[in-house]
Amino acid sequence: MAEPRLIEIAPVTRVEGHGKVTVHMNADNQVEEARLHIVEFRGFERFIRGRLLWEVPVIVQRLCGICPVSHHLAAAKAMDMVMGVDVLPPTAEKMRRLMHYGQVMQSHVLHFFHLAAPDLLFGFDAPAAKRNVFEILKENPELGRRAVMMRKYGQEIIAATAGKKVHGTGAIPGGINRNLPIAKRDEFLKDIDTMTEWVQDAVKLAKDYTIEHIDLVNSFANFPSNYMSIVREDGALDLYNGNFRMKGADGNILLDQIPNKDYFNYVIEDVRSWSYMKFPYYKEMTPETGWYRVGPLARLNNVDFIDTPLANAALNELRAVTDGKPNTSSLGNHWARMIEVLHCVEMIKQLLEDPDLQGTDLVAKGDRRQVGIGVIEAPRGNLIHHYEVDEHDQVTYCNLIVSTTHNNEGMNRAVKDVAIKYLDGQAQITEGMLNHIEVAIRAYDPCLSCATHALGQMPLEVEIQDAEGKVIDSRRTGAA
Amino acid sequence: MSAISDTGTRRDTTFTFTIDGVEIRAQPGQTIMEAADDAGIYIPRLCDHEGLRHQGSCRVCTVKVGGRSVSACTQPANPGTNVESETPYLTKLRRDLVEMLFHEGNHLCPMCEASGNCELQAMAYRLDMTNPTKFPYLEPNRDLDASHPDIALDTNRCISCGRCIRASMDVDGKGLFGYVGRGIKRRVAVNGMDLAHTDAAVTDHAISAEVCPVGCIIRKREGFRIPIGEREFDKGLIGHEIEEKANA
Amino acid sequence: MPELRKARIATASLAGCFGCHMAILDIDERLIGLMGLVEFDRSPVNDIKKFTKRCDIGIIEGGCCNEENVHVLQDFRRNCDVLIALGQCAIMGGLPAMRNAVMHSENPLLECLEEAYISGRFIRNTTHQIPNDPALPLVLDKVYPLSEVVKIDYNIPGCAPTGDVIYSTLASLLAGKFRGFERELIKFD
Repeated sequence: MAEPRLIEIAPVTRVEGHGKVTVHMNADNQVEEARLHIVEFRGFERFIRGRLLWEVPVIVQRLCGICPVSHHLAAAKAMDMVMGVDVLPPTAEKMRRLMHYGQVMQSHVLHFFHLAAPDLLFGFDAPAAKRNVFEILKENPELGRRAVMMRKYGQEIIAATAGKKVHGTGAIPGGINRNLPIAKRDEFLKDIDTMTEWVQDAVKLAKDYTIEHIDLVNSFANFPSNYMSIVREDGALDLYNGNFRMKGADGNILLDQIPNKDYFNYVIEDVRSWSYMKFPYYKEMTPETGWYRVGPLARLNNVDFIDTPLANAALNELRAVTDGKPNTSSLGNHWARMIEVLHCVEMIKQLLEDPDLQGTDLVAKGDRRQVGIGVIEAPRGNLIHHYEVDEHDQVTYCNLIVSTTHNNEGMNRAVKDVAIKYLDGQAQITEGMLNHIEVAIRAYDPCLSCATHALGQMPLEVEIQDAEGKVIDSRRTGAA
Repeated sequence: MSAISDTGTRRDTTFTFTIDGVEIRAQPGQTIMEAADDAGIYIPRLCDHEGLRHQGSCRVCTVKVGGRSVSACTQPANPGTNVESETPYLTKLRRDLVEMLFHEGNHLCPMCEASGNCELQAMAYRLDMTNPTKFPYLEPNRDLDASHPDIALDTNRCISCGRCIRASMDVDGKGLFGYVGRGIKRRVAVNGMDLAHTDAAVTDHAISAEVCPVGCIIRKREGFRIPIGEREFDKGLIGHEIEEKANA
Repeated sequence: MPELRKARIATASLAGCFGCHMAILDIDERLIGLMGLVEFDRSPVNDIKKFTKRCDIGIIEGGCCNEENVHVLQDFRRNCDVLIALGQCAIMGGLPAMRNAVMHSENPLLECLEEAYISGRFIRNTTHQIPNDPALPLVLDKVYPLSEVVKIDYNIPGCAPTGDVIYSTLASLLAGKFRGFERELIKFD
């Protein structure tokens, strides 16, 4: 009879933000419970009250440094609604779309190469000192350099549309504050074909990994769920605008073309005592059956097609693996992520060739409303911003549901699935086994700062508690 | 300026003095700062503003004349004097004053629409205010008055320079603002229950972009329309316009 | 002649949004050259989770908003020769400090927690409590800039500072030639 143990993984590295995993193991070395605790809290939804409506897109993007543009644009869309602007001038909409595709490109590239690739290229069990982007730069300098340059390209697009690479000010309520000068456009056009080529290679890298490791992909944190995202009216992938769709694991459509402003009639967040991050689920079901996943794989499961040719062809290759049914894996997100980058570079090229980007009509006006709801597909998944603004232009209410929050239940189940598969029955827990749990979390590209509307880091701890909940052993692979 | 004497000949009444060893020509009645501005020498200042009477309260324009520290915006220029301005002692004094202003209020630059057009921020950049601080953050409880349909007052950012007081009283003839309180509690207040209960208008000189040096007086729904790169201090350090006169 | 060892750098994001770490990565291809001169110890971008050796330079973004942040910060001060506060959150609290600075409340933290978990409109909370598991670190009464907790040696201002400013500061620090910032590069936003 073994001793109950507490294992800690802290901090979870190569993710953004802080989390803690606890694994409850009983006296027979069996995993009884595994949880992902988010331990950081900020309180944005409350302290934004009283601020002025045009400040919100600039303030709220500071929730996250990897995807500030997602929050910036979602808040700008919400404030468009408040200002009564339902249709932006073409220059404004296209500049915002360019900003968005640039940021999805850099965020996905960052995640795939800098954060996730060390596991995929070196193996989940590789020595800890090897699992980082610097080792990739050493072992495969060309691949590493391409990753750096692709991310740089996306960041430069953000700088040209928002004014700065991190935390700019481009989108304002009703429009945009700058257009794209021709010289800048030509700079980007010069490199877009090289970028497209490199991204296609990255898609191939992700695809080959998935096919070569298909047994792993099918068994590692692979479980059915609902999938939620926005889709265009014709069912195409549209990362900037669309209406809600939710699909079940077998491909049946549960909800379709739900307008953004009605989100709260369908989604509610469950609070649990052991995490600062809440658990959204579909109101008509229970927290156990109504939970859903968001993100690249969920989006590609949900859409009917992608309206850019190279990405659509890649999507069909991805679908072939599951015979067109929704892909229920966690690791499949990596391939889906690269397909989305391909879509982004195709869209970026289209936009760069559009003379509307040099237009001078930047802001529209309309009749004031009291409520603004902006929904966008952030790199990590669906993002909802909801504000109420009074006649003095001050915010009186704020509700945010961010991508990683939507994925809370999914990540917890992934953690439990992997904990059971790799820790059950083990007398010795190695660092490599713990990394497997982190790999499961990383597949969701979590943005834990966004999720708790908080800033800060929390080491990821894996605790092993005995059957009575007493912490037996705790290994913090990190932290202070 | 010349005076015509009884005999009809013109007499030059200008005189000279030095600032940091450089000889400056001044007119009678000019302050040290006015003479310096004309000569293209920038003395940092916050509470002084063109077109408003000189107040001499912020002390950022402190210079040394004859061993005494005075505010250049109020001290008359005197012939033959030697004024010290860009010395390590005075630069540190000015930097400490600006740093204390940052600590006294709630200055959250990343989310302020005045960022890039803010004289307090630009002054901090010019004075190289980057070292770790020894001062505590007071984090006072200050109001945001958004009652007026077109104007908001975010007093978190007010530095009590009083430019709005002088502009409203002397230029607009309205007297919207005034000082209240004593010592560290001295603040600028609105002459009424809130701004909506005054005759403030967004066309007032006191409300214009040039009068309030920071992001306290806000013209509503204008924020962030000027893109990064085209804001006033994206184009040069504060004072560069005066200094460029010397090269002109 | 003994070989010069590589400089050791450790980084952490406390109550930060990770934007400053993204700014570090914005040094782009200069990273490749930098790797010839430095090695990274504990950092969120690798899997070294505890200090393995004493480090020459520690770079921290984010202020302190819970007890865990304070422990990590003190660990960095103990293990690093030079500690740099990177970005406005580390220097003066940043956006999280809106909790202290601009909320007009007797108990801003409690109000924030209640809005998120108790009184929010679209939540379901069968526990009727604010999350209180022992696994969750205690939240501090206020958000603190780093200099109010430990001695900080240098600040790099910005929200986020540009990759260029970070690179030139690091390069000159490593060469022992840091003389402050070019005034045109200083930004607080």
